[in-house]
Amino acid sequence: MTSLDRRGLLRLGGALTVGAGLAACSGTGTGSGADSGGAGDPRKGEITVWSWQGPAAQLKALLPEFNKAYPDIKVTVQDIGNPAIWDKITTGLAAGGSGLADVLHIGVDYLPGYVEKFPTGLADLGPLGATKHKDAFAQGLWQTVAPKGRVNALPWEANSGGFYYRADLFEKAGVDVESLATWDEVIEAGKKLKAATGVHLLGIDKPASQPDAANFFQLLLQLQGKFYFDLDGAITLDSPEAVTALTLIKKMNDAGLVSDLAGGWSALENSIKEGTAAVLPWPTWFGGIIEGLVPQEAGKWKVRLPPAVRRGGATAATVNSTHLAVAGSSKQQAAAWSFIEFMLTRPASQVAIYRGKGIAPALMAAYEDSLFHEPSAFFSGQKKGEIFLQALKSPTPATNYSADYARALKVVTDAQTKVLLKGADPAEVLKQAADQLAQQTGRKVVR
Amino acid sequence: MKLRSLTLTWTLAIVLAAVLIPFYWLVIAATHSSQEIFRTPPPLLPGRHLLDNLSSLQEKAGFGRVVLNSLGIATVYTLLAGTVCTLAGYGFAKFRFAGREPLFGLLMLGLVIPAQVTLVPLFRLMAELQWLDTYQAVLLPNLALPFGIFLMRQSMAAVPDELLDSGRVDGCGELRLFLRVALPPMRPALAALAIFLFLFQWNEFIWPLIVLRSDSALTIPVALAGLQGVDDTDYGAILAGTAIAALPMAALFLALQRHFVSGLLAGAVKE
Amino acid sequence: MTFSVRRRTLPYLFVLPAVLLFAAFKLYPIVASFRLSLYHQAGGVEEFAGIDNYTRLLDDSLFWTALGNSATILAVQVPVMLALATGLAVAFNSTLLKARPLFRLGFFLPMVTGLVAYGIVFSVLLNQQYGLVNWLLGADLPWLTDPLLAKASLGLALTWHYTGYNAVILLARLQTIPTELYDAAAVDGAGAWGRFRHVTLPGLRPALLLTTVLSTIGTLQLFDEPYVLTGGGPDNATLTIGMYLYQNAFKYFDFGYASAIAYALALLIGLLGLLQFKVLGGKS
Repeated sequence: MTSLDRRGLLRLGGALTVGAGLAACSGTGTGSGADSGGAGDPRKGEITVWSWQGPAAQLKALLPEFNKAYPDIKVTVQDIGNPAIWDKITTGLAAGGSGLADVLHIGVDYLPGYVEKFPTGLADLGPLGATKHKDAFAQGLWQTVAPKGRVNALPWEANSGGFYYRADLFEKAGVDVESLATWDEVIEAGKKLKAATGVHLLGIDKPASQPDAANFFQLLLQLQGKFYFDLDGAITLDSPEAVTALTLIKKMNDAGLVSDLAGGWSALENSIKEGTAAVLPWPTWFGGIIEGLVPQEAGKWKVRLPPAVRRGGATAATVNSTHLAVAGSSKQQAAAWSFIEFMLTRPASQVAIYRGKGIAPALMAAYEDSLFHEPSAFFSGQKKGEIFLQALKSPTPATNYSADYARALKVVTDAQTKVLLKGADPAEVLKQAADQLAQQTGRKVVR
Repeated sequence: MKLRSLTLTWTLAIVLAAVLIPFYWLVIAATHSSQEIFRTPPPLLPGRHLLDNLSSLQEKAGFGRVVLNSLGIATVYTLLAGTVCTLAGYGFAKFRFAGREPLFGLLMLGLVIPAQVTLVPLFRLMAELQWLDTYQAVLLPNLALPFGIFLMRQSMAAVPDELLDSGRVDGCGELRLFLRVALPPMRPALAALAIFLFLFQWNEFIWPLIVLRSDSALTIPVALAGLQGVDDTDYGAILAGTAIAALPMAALFLALQRHFVSGLLAGAVKE
Repeated sequence: MTFSVRRRTLPYLFVLPAVLLFAAFKLYPIVASFRLSLYHQAGGVEEFAGIDNYTRLLDDSLFWTALGNSATILAVQVPVMLALATGLAVAFNSTLLKARPLFRLGFFLPMVTGLVAYGIVFSVLLNQQYGLVNWLLGADLPWLTDPLLAKASLGLALTWHYTGYNAVILLARLQTIPTELYDAAAVDGAGAWGRFRHVTLPGLRPALLLTTVLSTIGTLQLFDEPYVLTGGGPDNATLTIGMYLYQNAFKYFDFGYASAIAYALALLIGLLGLLQFKVLGGKS
């Protein structure tokens, strides 16, 4: 019996020791950063690119032209799917960069987090040649990709806050939309609209079934030049501007002007097809979506920049952007850079991508193409490209998304849900949200 | 007796119909285009876009190859994991040895720790072994499936010890005992195990997503996830793909479920 | 001599493949992630944090909300589902039921949908404006957007998804109950219900333990359903520990904290499991 006991226990002990030993040898776990990446040859190599459906198709479409300039760089663009791509990139970065593609398409909701948690996870594009493009992009975007000088990615898409509306419905209600100067005036107009046509003013995902339910709140906040964090990284969630923004939303909701968009993208699509709301406060890229969903409503829609929150305030805000980055673990960083440079800094590339999918360029030079200055039949002859170009050219304060943007977004959408579904007081829920965020992140709240 | 039989059958049929409503919608939706799927009221009759959806699947995701990948991986997995789990289950159930309970508890630890936390360390391990984008990376980590071992242990416990002992007395070797005496009455449990193992591997999503890189190596759930975009998700194709993916599973279930037979242990305990 | 040595090492040989595979591919990541839970990562630098991550859990109201939600689902949904599964298993085994293969397949089918489609199907079915369920009921219920209804929808989806699965496990066990036991009970004068109580249930006990333990673990770790149906909302009404863990790891990149959540959960599951073994285990 004793020999059996010993043997059994020895085996158990052996297994545990092996496991522990392996764990000890595993190194420092997450965030230990890049590994053995290398520049390689800028004109030669095989690279992979990770993106999702729409943008990926545009990149693939441009490959023949890319290969004319760089015949020795073989590119494979892979459609990973959104949101599946985030799990893949996150795991890869957390594992020190293993298994990542060379070029990664990253949205602004993920980029700052990746940059801070995995400081060498994305390659520094500066030495590869990025710095000369510093002033080529819309304002504020360089701050997003290179907050401390190290260039973590290059901007691809830049979207400004927009105000798409059904001009015919507002006309019926006797409202001149172009003259609305503040959101308070918009609310009054919304009441007239509802009375005359029965249509809501706009829609919000009230129970926050998607993380981007607070897009509208964020727009109102950014129009006031503020965000969830200040440039030092302190929390400004319960600032007076935030309370103003959420109070505006509450006022709209209390007046019965807000329809519910719970259920994700398909709910939004349905709402547009059924004409539930007359205003779509969505960014630049949304114009093409509307055209695609309700082509029969051509001529009924118009677009303008959103009204200001306070009289005389800003009407332009860059509300989101996407970027291309190079993995720190990539052994073909130079070739990857050649790809990025070709796609993002060459006006012809950006024009082709816009033509294909309506992805608005961050590259200012692209806007010289006549494509952006054409009148749109759908939007009642307006030159919508010019409207958004004007927004991109307006001075915009830099936005600090910070590494904790995802957390902030969660507490904000929860606060908004409380206000919209439970009638809570905006100042109170924002204070709670700020405190909760502080507890989670260890940041200070600006009070 | 006949009345009871009819009542039971029809009651259950009504419940089944309710349970299958989502499937009905799934199959109908697979024949519509993405735009039509979310109409009000929802479409209840087949549409005309099935072929379009299927060709989308093939064009955008190489679905034919993907289905073969899934079939191959799931089959190999079921055979290998089935062997590992059955052997282990028998060992735990029918023998007393030092460290049995602690060892079993340790294996069950794999059930208790959620997969999300072990994902990154396991991925690092695979990277270090240079096994990224290989099928062994997909298969090996889950061969010793705690659920399978647990199920087999519970099932094997039903084999009467007297039967095994009388075999030993007759000079029968342990392996033969296992194969000839213990396994045969376990057919229902083995069928169930095979079904569950195949199902597990067939639906596995996050691990293959992270470990596989080549488009030609993907499994069905990963390929379907690749069809999602921000505003241009091809729902018709995804649902068509899902409906197709259900077929092999259904076929396997029907084939194996004939082993769900009662009374295999009847008369086993005699002497 | 050789025979008894072989006899002694034999059991280990049966379990060796499983143990080796486990040690290599599960034990190592488990130990590594436990180690991770003792560290705090800031700006790419890892610092030893001791039990800081765990004490942070105690103050984290979202963690407690998630725990409460998971416990509610556990207390309500699991017993109902297992009772249904038992009933189904008995029916699947009974000669009274016609077309048994079809019924077994039909109730098992819900397990076959993958995660992506599952989410699409159910969020469409349960949508307030254009969902099939509201259309059939002629109602306007906010299935996924009202906190209480969202929890109910989650429970409904779970029951739909897993009842057939549990029924198959129970069925497999049911079929190992020797028919003589039923005959003997009938001879003793037991009716259908009596036979169920005195032969079926005791015979099912090991499988009931298995399904209870599995369902408990599955419910406490629940991720798939909240992820695709509600995103944890509204206002965290359907936030489960599994969801919260995923958010911390894959959205906030706080792997150390996520690991701490996992191990705190593991402790809880371990305690619950022990309890269930005591109550339901008996001789296994």
